[in-house]
Amino acid sequence: MRIIDLLSKQSITLGATPKNKSEAIDLLVELQVKGGKIKDKDMYKKGILAREELGSTAVGDGIAIPHAKSTAVSSPSLAAITVPNGVDYEAMDDEPSNLLFMIAAPNDGDVHLEVLSRLMTILMDEEFRLNLMNAKDKDTFLKIIDNKEKEKYPDETTAVKKSDSGYKVLAVTACPTGIAHTYMAAEALEKSGKKLGITIKVETNGSGGAKNVLTKEEIKNCDGIIVAADKTVEMSRFDGKKVIRTKVSDGIKIPDELIKKIESGDAPVYHHEGAKASDDSSSDESFGRKLYKHLMNGVSNMLPFTVAGGIFIAIAFLIDTISGAPQDSGFGTHTAAAAFFKSIGGYAFSFMIPVLAAYIGKSIADRPGFLVGLVGGYLATTGSTFAKISGDIPSGFLGALFAGFVGGFVMLMIEKLCDRMPKALNGIKPVLIYPLAGLGAIAIIMCAVNPFMGMINTGLSNFLNDMGGSSKIILGCILGGMMSIDMGGPFNKAAYVFGTAAIASGSYDIMAAVMIGGMVPPIAIALSTTFFKSRWTEEEKKNGAVNYLMGLSFITEGAIPYAAADPLRVIPSCIVGAATAGGLSMAFNCTLMAPHGGIFVFAVVGNWPLYLLSLAVGSVVGMLMLAVLKKKVKATTDKT
Amino acid sequence: MVSKTVKVINAQGLHMRPAGVFAKAMAAHKDCKVTLNANGKSVNGKAVMQLMAACIKYGCTVEIACDGEDEQAVLDEAAAMFESGFGE
Repeated sequence: MRIIDLLSKQSITLGATPKNKSEAIDLLVELQVKGGKIKDKDMYKKGILAREELGSTAVGDGIAIPHAKSTAVSSPSLAAITVPNGVDYEAMDDEPSNLLFMIAAPNDGDVHLEVLSRLMTILMDEEFRLNLMNAKDKDTFLKIIDNKEKEKYPDETTAVKKSDSGYKVLAVTACPTGIAHTYMAAEALEKSGKKLGITIKVETNGSGGAKNVLTKEEIKNCDGIIVAADKTVEMSRFDGKKVIRTKVSDGIKIPDELIKKIESGDAPVYHHEGAKASDDSSSDESFGRKLYKHLMNGVSNMLPFTVAGGIFIAIAFLIDTISGAPQDSGFGTHTAAAAFFKSIGGYAFSFMIPVLAAYIGKSIADRPGFLVGLVGGYLATTGSTFAKISGDIPSGFLGALFAGFVGGFVMLMIEKLCDRMPKALNGIKPVLIYPLAGLGAIAIIMCAVNPFMGMINTGLSNFLNDMGGSSKIILGCILGGMMSIDMGGPFNKAAYVFGTAAIASGSYDIMAAVMIGGMVPPIAIALSTTFFKSRWTEEEKKNGAVNYLMGLSFITEGAIPYAAADPLRVIPSCIVGAATAGGLSMAFNCTLMAPHGGIFVFAVVGNWPLYLLSLAVGSVVGMLMLAVLKKKVKATTDKT
Repeated sequence: MVSKTVKVINAQGLHMRPAGVFAKAMAAHKDCKVTLNANGKSVNGKAVMQLMAACIKYGCTVEIACDGEDEQAVLDEAAAMFESGFGE
């Protein structure tokens, strides 16, 4: 615990002129706050004043060491002022104080005693005190302390050397879920830095947002930056610095190597060229890995919308159930409170698909890709075509995946093409040309693709109508399965519309099969996160419980983040489970007159005990399918 | 010269306040030398800065040595202060 590691330049004032003790304390507290280790200034200052109440901390010889142990302090730090003319600090020997160090210590441990001991050890030397008083600038001040500490504690050979202002090496860690690996890598890098005697600061881009964010000043003064991330991080700030970009797992496995590479100056200088960053940066990553990274960037940003929106809608159903509202097509909006939750939840849902596409686009093509993805994703929800621009059959989340990826890569192409434009236009490229060209491109692409969605939908509807006469059970299987193919795209819509149309024509068994098909996917996934934990990431497991609620409320969208993250394994499992449930529902002659509501409308379900059984069987089948198809997460740790 | 070994029982150790109290009390005995041996260091019991520099933490064993006038009384007083945890 070296003094100079705790005392940063911005927390020193030389030649201060406080008029009295109170002003001196104010000044020192202010300097502590500048040091950045104080979470709550008022609380910390209260601690300092409470300590002074017990007796002045001026220990004589012109030295005062105000100090406080407090939960307002995040990690130990020091502030210092020199007062050439002295200030009355109510010292034990009544002499004025001219060298003041203020200690901030967290509430646990003996840090404060150790710092006190160290300060006293070096401050006992009168010549040293004089040198400090005469220091002409802050660097000299720190240098004098450094020399003295080296003299008094010569065995600390591995002591961490602090570069002039801040840290020698900076790092950013991030993983898609942002729960475990981000922090493991940060810890490994910090440990390694300590071992090698190199100051390092690590920014963690975890699920709760970026913590310990690197400042402009720190970036300017560092030797280089290690970016150990499996998702995109803000890179433009590192323009012109030496940067190593690598996987988050390297941060955990080979931190020494990374830090040494920066210190040896071997790292390439990073040039930020807008969107091209992600293109040329990760050349050592496989293409599949990159796609996964883009996909996860979208999924993790979409997830909060799904969870919050879904719960709101479930609350709406609950309110209408309690108030005894009729369980018809308006279910969930009959009472004012229910309508509030249903509408707001619905609005959150309407952002879900565009956000998925937007963050995939952003991951691929940086900021210009965001616009392209967002609008492309929105067009996937409206289903706009050239013939019917106001919207037709939505393509749902599969359309959004398409919009995000295609939009992102199209944006990169546009930027490549723009390279040939005159240099004079460089300034307006990111603000005008990229957005304009990107918007035009994605609009044309989506409007061209959407009609196919409409054709699929029409084809399916005709197919379903033709099936009217054939086996009910097979029809139930198909409807159930369709509900969970795209969870809001043409298949889902065709099945749903078929179900509601059937209600209108008086046959209620079809709607029952449709709804059960939409309830199975979230429940199957929730069951799987409960009973087959090894198949899912931390974040997926945490959100698993919400999916019980979503599934029971017939909010199929709850399954989308899971399906989007691993479509080839999750969707087939859901389809099989949903088809099983749909078929059983038909076999048991279950009926339903409400087109929505899930478990809240079970009161109007004909044959509801068997309907519940169908749901349980279908969900368990889905869960078992997931267990078989999905790999254990452990095998793919470096992805999480 | 007389001496006695005591243990630090107050959780915060010999931080600034107890160190100050102790040094002040010892300083009153002008003709008796008070030395504390702890952590392999030997410090003047009347000098608050030296006391703090010794970094005497909770659970530390400290040998108090008094040499001079009324040395036994001074030692008893010093030991009593440690044993009472400096009133903390």
